[in-house]
Amino acid sequence: MAGLQDIRRRIRSVKNTQQVTKAMKMISAVKLRKSQERLVALRPYAGKMMDVVRRVVGRIGGDAEIQPGSAAQAFLAPREEKRIRVVLVASDKGLCGGFNANVLKAATAFVEQTSSEIVHLDVVGKRAAEWARKRKLNAAREYLNVPITGFQHVVTEISEGAAAQYHAGEIDALYVIYNYFNSPVAQTPTVFKVFPMELDRRAEGRDAIEVSHLLEPDPNAVLETLLPRFVETELLRNLLESSASEHGARMAAMDKASNNAGEMIAKLTLTMNKIRQASITNQIIEIVSGANA
Amino acid sequence: MSQSIKLEVVTPERPVFSAEVAEVQFPTAARGYYGILPGHTPLMTEVGDGLLYYVQDGQKHWLTVFGGFAEVGPDRVTILARESETVEMIDLERAEASRQRALKLLKEAQTEHDLATAQAKLDASLIRLQAAGHPAGHGF
Repeated sequence: MAGLQDIRRRIRSVKNTQQVTKAMKMISAVKLRKSQERLVALRPYAGKMMDVVRRVVGRIGGDAEIQPGSAAQAFLAPREEKRIRVVLVASDKGLCGGFNANVLKAATAFVEQTSSEIVHLDVVGKRAAEWARKRKLNAAREYLNVPITGFQHVVTEISEGAAAQYHAGEIDALYVIYNYFNSPVAQTPTVFKVFPMELDRRAEGRDAIEVSHLLEPDPNAVLETLLPRFVETELLRNLLESSASEHGARMAAMDKASNNAGEMIAKLTLTMNKIRQASITNQIIEIVSGANA
Repeated sequence: MSQSIKLEVVTPERPVFSAEVAEVQFPTAARGYYGILPGHTPLMTEVGDGLLYYVQDGQKHWLTVFGGFAEVGPDRVTILARESETVEMIDLERAEASRQRALKLLKEAQTEHDLATAQAKLDASLIRLQAAGHPAGHGF
């Protein structure tokens, strides 16, 4: 049986750990709120943008005068997907439950089942970079320790690069693998195709009349500015989804850890008290028997 | 046919406005203003900087818009603005301070680029001041 001293030491150590996990939980809660606020604010915009692009682009028939090689073509005329660019978004730090494991599992599955060649891989977060190295996938660019304020920069770089590669015929599609933020305690690893868009060309939307949109002043000019904006918005949303998911996952993990530590302390305290009582009883018996003698 | 238009204005920072209105007018990047009544043909265009107004219960209300896109359907107008504010959101003091700063920059501007930035700043502050100075119902 462990001595009283040993148990006291263990209780102290578990208490220290609990303090750390409690602090981490609170920090994550604050960070979660920040990310979540931005995400919740952006989602309606991104959703509307998606609706508009689907409606407008989905209705442009083959008769529209779309210049070949323009940005609009990336959405209108998907090519056979031979070469693709993939952006993998995970976190820099661990201690966030299944957050990284899940998204990396999804990434592994995607890499194994895809028939296209991944010609360009961007990784966001140290965990994603480590995964790529372990699997001998050469990441073209590693974005490490990017603060939430730096997301816009990353997004612009990736979207501009991808657009140029698409025009040059180096890639046929852009994918993002990230954690979708359902709620602070639930994330879904998601594989999202940014472009070309999979458009449902059948009757879409609520409009009864099927009329192509007038694109003023001219279709190419409008699409040329709209589509890069759309790609940027979607990428930014994906990064924010991942960031909010990460902090949510860490908060949940740290909450669990704090609770576990609490349970352990209760158990150890019980054992300690038992031992103490046993020793007191022993001492009393000794005194009593000594007095009797 | 629907007698009203669902006007929605969203920005990356926040949804700004959403309601059924009778009429909308917004500035475009290339062609002045578009006035939209219910039953308009589907249209998509770039939004410019300036003032948007909508008519609700016979009253005109103003919003600022800075860039972005507008999609028009028979019963809806969706504005995906880079920035937008309702009159209530405008900080008058900040807009005035920004106007003063822009005027100063305009005087000191050395290069073409400086001049353009200062001018853009001045325009933005003037749009905000104008929106705040024309409360709902007054019009120009």
